[in-house]
Formats: sequence, structure tokens, C-alpha cells
Amino acid sequence: MDVVVCCKLVPDLVEELEVNEAGTDLDWAAVRWVLNEFDDHALEEALLLKESTGARVTVLVPEADGAEEVLYTALAKGADRAVRLTGLPPGAGSRALAVAFSRVLPSVGYDLILTGVQAVDDVDGQVGGLLAGMLGLPYVGVVTGVQVDWQVHKAVVRKEYAGGVVEELEVDLPAVLGIQSAQKPPRYAPVSKVRQLMREGKAEALPAELPAVPRAAVRRVFRPQTDRRAQILEGPAEQAAAQLVAILEERGLLRR
Amino acid sequence: MAEVMVFAERQGDSLAEVTYELLAAGRQLSQALGCELSALLVGPGAGALAGGLGTADVVVCAEDPQLAHFTPDGTLQVLEAAVQQRSPRLVLLPSTSQGLDLAAPLSARTGLPLVAYCRELWAEDGVVVAHSQVYGGKLVVEVAVPERGIVCLLPGSVSAEAGRAPGTPRVEVLSVPGVSARARFRQRFEPEAGDVDITREDILVAVGRGIGDRENLSLVEELAEALGGAVCASRPLVDNGWLPKNRQVGKSGLVVKPKLYLAVGISGAPEHLEGMKDSELIVAVNTDARAPIFDVAHYGVVADLFDFLPALTEAVRQRKG
Amino acid sequence: MLTPLERVVFLALAAGCLAYAAVGFRQVFAAIRRGHGGFPTDRWPQRVARTALQVLAHQTLWRTRRPVAIFHAFILFAFTYYFLVNVADLVEGFTGFSTAHRGGLWGIYNLVADVLSVLALVGMTYFLVRRFVFRPRSFRFNPQVMLLPGVEAGIRRDSLVVGGFILFHVGSRWLGQAFKLAAEGPDPWQPLASAVSTLFVGMPEPALEVGVHATWWVALGLILLFLPYFPRSKHIHLFFAPVNLALGLPQPPGRLEADGKGAARLEELPWRRILDAYACIMCNRCQDVCPAHQTGRSLSPAALEINKRYYLNRHLREFSRGAPSPPLWEYAISVDAVWACTTCSACVHICPVGNAPMLDIVEIRRRLLEEGEVPDPNLQDVLVKLGKYGNSFGKPERQRGQWTKGLPFRVKDARRETVDVLWFVGDYASFDPRVQEVTRTVARLLHQAGVDFGILYEGERNSGNDAGRVGEAGLFEVLAEHNIRLLDQATYRVILTTDPHSLNALRNEYQALGRRYPVVHYTEFLLQLLEEGRLKVVQPVGRKVTYHDPCYLARYNRVTEAPRRLLQRVGAELVEMPRNRENTFCCGAGGGRIWMREEPGQERPSESRIREAATLGVDTFVVACPKDYTMYTDAVKTAGYEGRMVVCDVAELVAQAVGVRAEVLAQV
Repeated sequence: MDVVVCCKLVPDLVEELEVNEAGTDLDWAAVRWVLNEFDDHALEEALLLKESTGARVTVLVPEADGAEEVLYTALAKGADRAVRLTGLPPGAGSRALAVAFSRVLPSVGYDLILTGVQAVDDVDGQVGGLLAGMLGLPYVGVVTGVQVDWQVHKAVVRKEYAGGVVEELEVDLPAVLGIQSAQKPPRYAPVSKVRQLMREGKAEALPAELPAVPRAAVRRVFRPQTDRRAQILEGPAEQAAAQLVAILEERGLLRR
Repeated sequence: MAEVMVFAERQGDSLAEVTYELLAAGRQLSQALGCELSALLVGPGAGALAGGLGTADVVVCAEDPQLAHFTPDGTLQVLEAAVQQRSPRLVLLPSTSQGLDLAAPLSARTGLPLVAYCRELWAEDGVVVAHSQVYGGKLVVEVAVPERGIVCLLPGSVSAEAGRAPGTPRVEVLSVPGVSARARFRQRFEPEAGDVDITREDILVAVGRGIGDRENLSLVEELAEALGGAVCASRPLVDNGWLPKNRQVGKSGLVVKPKLYLAVGISGAPEHLEGMKDSELIVAVNTDARAPIFDVAHYGVVADLFDFLPALTEAVRQRKG
Repeated sequence: MLTPLERVVFLALAAGCLAYAAVGFRQVFAAIRRGHGGFPTDRWPQRVARTALQVLAHQTLWRTRRPVAIFHAFILFAFTYYFLVNVADLVEGFTGFSTAHRGGLWGIYNLVADVLSVLALVGMTYFLVRRFVFRPRSFRFNPQVMLLPGVEAGIRRDSLVVGGFILFHVGSRWLGQAFKLAAEGPDPWQPLASAVSTLFVGMPEPALEVGVHATWWVALGLILLFLPYFPRSKHIHLFFAPVNLALGLPQPPGRLEADGKGAARLEELPWRRILDAYACIMCNRCQDVCPAHQTGRSLSPAALEINKRYYLNRHLREFSRGAPSPPLWEYAISVDAVWACTTCSACVHICPVGNAPMLDIVEIRRRLLEEGEVPDPNLQDVLVKLGKYGNSFGKPERQRGQWTKGLPFRVKDARRETVDVLWFVGDYASFDPRVQEVTRTVARLLHQAGVDFGILYEGERNSGNDAGRVGEAGLFEVLAEHNIRLLDQATYRVILTTDPHSLNALRNEYQALGRRYPVVHYTEFLLQLLEEGRLKVVQPVGRKVTYHDPCYLARYNRVTEAPRRLLQRVGAELVEMPRNRENTFCCGAGGGRIWMREEPGQERPSESRIREAATLGVDTFVVACPKDYTMYTDAVKTAGYEGRMVVCDVAELVAQAVGVRAEVLAQV
């Protein structure tokens, strides 16, 4: 009963993102890497499955600045194995990452693969879907809840649609699921536990080769032009409120 | 023959709104590229729906009974077969819950490159070019698809009007032997029909994380009451359970187009904007002058909502008498 | 004086009671020893001397409830003296040696005994009347406070038993003297007993004899009978309060233990915290000063200690033998209450017997966090941000020094340049837009005075003080280690800060990591600049103000006079808050509470404090802490005092007085 969580690190949006000189890509040197928040939910869902069914949880993380933190936090939260994939440069893209995962997964062993449904930088395709296609496994994304019956090799998942509609699907295992949110918010890993595990050095490393993948050519990367900028109503609260009320009245929005 | 293929997303027995947007975009592309526009319709009753796809030149139907409800795996198999049999120049999918399940796996299985989160799409000199938003909308990537590829289009990027053209497309049947769906529909949960249908309200006061604590919602409720409108919220508040799901505005909630959308304490993440950017009048209240919400708002107030909301409520009440 | 039969019976009773009491006391000691921690072996002569002085002078009782302290003094002196008296009476019973009708030392002895007896009776009557007739609010707990069943009735019963014991023991002994004097004639050295003896003078001799014996038996018999009752009674504080006081608390009181193990159960606490339960006199002073309890919340430090004590009372045998006890949050303090604590240490400061309920709470928090039980998503979010970005705002480190951009001069980078004063700015002063203006004002003052100062810019991290108090000892370490690395590399003479929390960490908590930094609060520093003439007052403020002492400055670090002298220097007329200096009332931000969602209650502590200030007839509320600034600015609005009360930082007043532009000048 092996659940593997495939993670990726993405640029932290808290920072100002710089475009490189040529305008063709992100300036990778200025990037702070953080765990994709949907992958955090995938990990949480995997840990919930561990708690309810006794499954073993393995976490795969490509090497980057901050990967150590992610690996040991996962172990501190309860993952059984944490593996660092070495040899992938930042900005390699989701497709390359998916190929790398697909080559490593058979040796890691899996019955169910969880990953975040998307990430802020996967314009070349979501890792979960790509991975499923490469491994020939069924894929369901935008999943908000997973139950597994290992005996019959089936999972029941909840998939979210727009407008609050949710559908329940039965999925044959092994499968890849793209997690939108876990059934509970991601748990907290106390810092002392993470540090303790770091001292013990339990994370492993596996080499991954950078594959050549078909990719649409990126011509340029730029900041979006914002042609419309709101007209700011100035002044203290009362003054701005009065201005707004006048605007609303003018537009006939203050009818009783 | 090369064609631009649109995946027609269904909503039960009818076509989803986004399908018309895809058709509109597809029509423009197919004309620029000098090829046909096809629409792939999957599931029982496809033939009956074909009439609604007048913008397309040909409607490809795959009526496998296994696909009565959308099943990611089953539909993927059909899509894969369609691509293999028809070799389309470009496959257009919606960036929706359905589309996200199909685009990436299809790309992996066919080896065609994928461009996701596309906002703008056109062809120049036989090359398809897309603008996709990445990094939470902070940056735009311009991608060229010189040969074959798959594009996932964000809902609301293109006007659906051109996609509703009347017409009588050819109907071709796609035979896909041995579809074996490894993911199967079990049941559907509609959101609780709440007291209020925010998609029908003229005035909405939307509240986001800036509200701080749950108790502070009363400020928003008072304002909504004074204005004669309803309260709606961005995803985080609904996730916290402060408001029911039927009040959620955004990509995974409801799309609204009221006469007045007053966004309070909402930063303006792309997922939320998708749900309200076509509102007639958008007013944003936020302490951060650089919040993205101000890019879509018509008017803005850079102030603490705890100061502004009571002031506005009072002013509205006085004006209404 | 006693018949042979009486002697035998007495000795038998004594043997029985002592044996029974010994069992109880032994169990109590075994129970306390289950907790961890070492026993201090240093400076015992000094400890004993200091405690003796503390007890005799009633120092710890004088902080509040002064009338009570006076009456308690009667009882305490009487009881201490009665040790001699009981021995003398015992001797008299067995040898017939009487101290009455003698002059000299015996006379004085008797006079003191006589007076103290009456004072004790008066005092004990006062206490019983106070508890059972006047029924002060202090003895009531908020409705949501977790209490073991039967605790309130138990406390009443215990009070009656102890009160009765004292009244009967002292009363009986004193009456005994009256009977004796009625038979033997009045004793000028026992005027009060002599006066009462006149009531008995007419009685026949045998009756008086019976009276003497009966009162002797009641007096000393009650002592014997009471001995085995001690382990169950709060009266055991007679022994454990002085011991607790002698053992003392870490300095400053409220400083956390370095060991981050945490505790879920009583036996996992340090043994000092189990001892606290036995020293506790259940007076509820701590509850009265607790900002959470006083604003209607479920936290009562008193209830915590009392619940611990009652659990021990009811399970002493098993517990003393090593039986596991249930998690504390099941009977002693609710999880809500654990997180309601602001770690202001008012409970620690006010406790007359040296208890530290706040430290229990931090231990429990450590365990809850370790088990991943974070009380609310806001807090979890902030802890993650602290770990990632080193600040609670989730802003990238790069932005830490951006507040300096508004200044017309460059602020030195203490990471690269030598400075005289290294200014440790802190999160709120660096990132909160309102407080940034105060920070800039302070910078302008320093610049005006020609101070050679610098900041650590992106190198600075949150000091870790509040992370530690939330129970994240690991995060405290990570933050502290980082700051220490930078401070060790920098060259400076003294560290300056406007943030009392950072001051507390740098001066006290970092000692756990082997560093003790010379830190000064900006109020002390600005005062020094004025006194040295480096800043000159050109326009006295001329305003009536009140000043709120920050908890971490006044209570933890005893800095109370410098801010006052500073205010005086700049020409502000200070009207003291009723609760001032070490008795200050917390704004409610500490202990990570500013990072947590609001707990339902009557009002926020900060609103309560603003109301307190409003009664003084002042319109200016002066603060000296960044979190106070934000808390009280909000509270003025939410409590409805906008336009009537303005919150002002000390720096703004100083700037006004010395003619330096303040970013914001508080105007009513």
C-alpha cells in the first residue's frame, strides 16, 4: 500500500519576480523556492490515508534551494520516506519533471500517486496529468477527497466542478490523482521535530537525468499591461464614502 | 486533413458556456490557418446536440454509453483516438475541471506540446501564438506553437458570441472500440440551494481575507442590507466555513455579472477575478494600493475597511432616507 | 496539670495523628518529586534570610488587597508565635510549669501571646465574614473556566475547616488562659485574657478546672487532628509557601526553561510546578490580574493551580506511587484557556506564594504544538511565515529595512559598519505601516542627537520571544541562532530597541543559547540623550497624558521610571493609570495572541484598558511598545473613543518637544 507524493518547488510569489535580461524567462537567480501549495495538500491527503489505512507514504522532491526543508518537513509530518531527485536544473519545466518522475517511480514502487492539481508555473502542462499519461494510468484532477480500499484496488474520489458542484468517482488503482485540497488543512510540523530529523539525515537521494521533451517555444516573458486602473476616491473615509454614494446614485443603484 | 479541433464540454444535456468561447477562438484560428474547425462531442445524445455547434464545420460524435457522465479516463481515450485518427493541427480544450483532466494526459500520450492557462490566442504566418498567464497572473508567457499542439483556454478569455453562429455542420461518427473507463461516475452533489442566488443579484458586496475575523462580517452584512444587495465571498472565507458554498465567487465557485460589485478586503487573485470581472461597476476597497483588484475595478478606495464600511453604510442610509 | 490518663491518651493520639500525617506528607513529597528538574544547592543561607524577611514583612502580600494583608499579618504572626505557645502549653500540660504571673521575659512572652491571640481571632473572623458574607467577586470563576467537580464546594468547606480550626484552636487556648486566671487571679501581663476572666470569676473551682483541661485539649488536640488534614488543605501553604519563595523563580520571573519537552500531564511538568499546587492558597489574586479572565474568557490561572491540587488530593495515593494521570487539558485547564494566555506574567508577579501558572501554560503549549495541535489556522500560518521569512508578516526579508526609505539620511548597515548603537528594530516596528512612522521618528531623534547607530537590515529576524511563548521552542532556537550569528559578527557598544519583546529575548531568553546582550530600551536611551544635552527641549509638550507600562518592559524587565522621567522632561503632565508599573494591565497581544483569532469574550483587554484611561480625564494615551501602539489605536476605535482619546508613542512627544519632525503628530 504505497502512496507516492510527487512534489515540485515553485517560485515564491511573495517576492518580486524578475524577468531575465533577454526577456525570455524568469531570472532564476532571484527566485526563492517554496513547495507548491497544492502539493502540500497532496501530502496532507496522503498522510490522512496513512492514518486511516496504514499506507506507506513516500515523498519525491526535485533538488532545489529549499528542498531539504520540504523533505524533512514531510518526514516530520509523518511521511515514511523522503527522496530528493538530483540533476534537474530550476526552470526545467513540468514536462521534464514528469518524465523524471516517471522514470524513477517504478523503482520507488507505487499503488497510488498523489500530486497537486496544478502549480503557478506549469504552463507546459500539469505534472499530474502528464505523469499519468506517461505511465498509462488513469488520472482525475481537482480532487478534494480520497478514500481507498486497497483490497479491491479501488479509490473513491471527490472531484470539484465550478459552482460548487462535486462529483464522486470510482477509480481503478494504480492511478494518479491531482489534489485541489485535502480533507483537512495541511498539518503543522514543529520546528524542533524537523531539526531533529535533519540531524538524523533520513532523506535519500536519487539521480534523475534531464530528458529532452517536446516543448512549445517560449518567445518572451513579460509583465501584463494593466490598461485599466481604478479611479481612486481620495480623502478620509467619510469623504470617499460620500463620493461613492454620489456615483451610485448617478447610476441609479440607490433605488429602494 | 489538418483541422482545429475543439473539445465541446457538456453540462448534462446541454453545452457548457465555455464551449462557445472555444468555438469562437477556434473559428478565428481555423480561418487564419486556412483549415476546418471541428468540434468533438462525447457521450450519448451527442448527435442531438450537434445542431448547437453551428460555428464548426464538422462535429465529431462519439456516443459510447460508458460516457454518459463525464469520466476523465474514458473521455481521454476518446480524445486520444480522435487525435490519432484525425491528426488535428491544434486541439482546443477549456481550462476547466473537465479540461484539466484531459489536456495534460493527452499531451503526454500524443507527444503534442501543451500550452495551459491561455488568455489570448491567434495565428500569425501559420504559427499559433498564445499568451498564457503564470505566477498568479504576475507574468505573461508568449508561446509559439509552430506545428501541432494542444492549447487550454481560460474561460472568459474570448467572447462567446462568434461561437454561437447558426449553421449545419457535417456530423461524423468517431468509432472508438474498447473504451474502458478506469474512472467511473458514482454520484453528483449539487451545492445546497441557499436562500440567495448571487448570480441573480444586482448588487453584491464581496468580502475577502481582509475582513480578518468572522465577527467582522456583520460590517459587510449591514452594508449589503443598506444597499439592498447580497453578501458573497472569495474562496478562503468559504473554505473557513464563514459563508456557504453558494456564496463563493471565482473559478471554483460562481461567475457573477451584477450591476454593482463591491469588493471589500479582496486582493484580486486571478481565480477570483475570473468570477466577477465582467460586472458592470466594480468598486474595490483595500489597504494595499497595489492590490491587483484595482486593475479590474472602475473605482477604488485605499482605506481600512473598518473605517470605510461603517462610513459608507451610514452615507447610503442617509441618502436613501 | 494533666492526669496520667490524659497524658497517655494524649500521647496515643499524638502518635496516631503523627503517623497518619506522616503517610500523607510522604505521599505529597513523592508526588512532587515525580516532576523533573534539579534541586538548587546554592546560596541557601541567603535564600532563607531573604524569605524570612519576605514573610515577616509580608512583602508578597502587599502588592494588592492591602486590608487583607493586614488581617493576614495578624494571623501569620499569631500562628508563628503560637509555635512557642503550643510548646509551652505542652510542657505545662506534662510538667505543670506555668508561665503566668511571672514578670520579665515570661511577662513579655505572655503579653505578646495575649495580644496576638485576640488579633488572630479578629483576623480569622474578618476572613470568614469576607468569604461567606461579603462574598467578593474574586472568588467566582468565569462560567467557561474548567473546574473539577466539587472544587468550589471543596474550597468553601476547606475555608470553614481552616477558619474553624484557627478560631477554635486560638480561641480555646486563649479562653483556657481566662479560666486559669479566673482561678488564680488576673495577670497584668495578660490584660485581655484577664478582662475575660472576670466573667468566670464567680464559677466554682472544679468547673474552672474542667474549663482549663477542656480548653487545653481542644487547643492542642485540634493541632494533632489537623496534622493529617494538611495534605488535603490549602493550609499546607504554611510549609510550602516559604519553601516555594525560598526556591525562587528564574530571573526575570516568567523566563522560559530552555528545555523544550513540553508537558501533557502533571507528572511531566517540572517538580516546581507540582509544588506550586501545594503552595497555592486559592486566593485568586492571579485571576484578578489576568487579562484573559478579566475580559470574560475561559482562562483562570487560579483554576489551573486549584484543579491540579484537587486532582492530587483525590488521587494522591496512586499518583505518589507513579500512576499516570490524564492530560491536563482534560481536567485542569481547557485547550481554549491554554491559548488565551498572553504571557504577560501578571499572575507570576502577583502570586504571594511564588507560583508561576504561566509557565505551566507554556509547557502545555509546547506539547500541543509538538503533537501538531495548532489552535487556529492564523497561528499556523504565522509560524510558517516566521520559519520561512523570519517575520510574522510574511514579507520577504529584503523589505525589512524599507522603512528607512522615508528618511532624509542614510541609516548605517550594522552588518558591515561599526556602530556605537546597534538598533534591533523588530517585526512590528519594521513592517506595520502605522508603527513605521514611529520608527522613523525615533530614527530622526537619534540622528538629531548625533548618535552613531545602525540596523541589521535584511539580516535581522524576529527575536523569537513570542514564538517561544507560543510553545515553538524549535522556532525560537532557529530565529535566535540566526540573530546571534549576526550580532556576534557586528561591532557595537550597546543594542537599542523600541520593542520590549525583543528586549526581553535579547537580554534574558538568549541566555539559554549562551548570550547575554547589553540591551537598552529607547525610553531609557532618549532620556539619557536629554540628560546629556544631546537633545534639548525647545517646546515642552504641556499636555496631560497617561502612560501604559508595557508588560515585557515593566514586569519582566523592571523598567518603569525611565519612561516617566522622560515624559516629565519633555513637559508632559503624567496622570497615572490605576494599574501601573509592575501592576500594568496587558494589551492582549502577547503570547502569540496577536497572531490568533479573537476569542469570544466580553471585550478585548485593550478596550478595557482604554476605558480605564478614560476615567482619568486625559485624552492622550502614551505607549512605548510597537504592539501596544497597534493594539490601542484599534481599541480606541472599537471601544468608541475615537476623537476623545488619542494614542501617542513616547517618541512622538519627544520629537514634538525637541523640535524634530514627527511623522505623525497625534491630534485629538
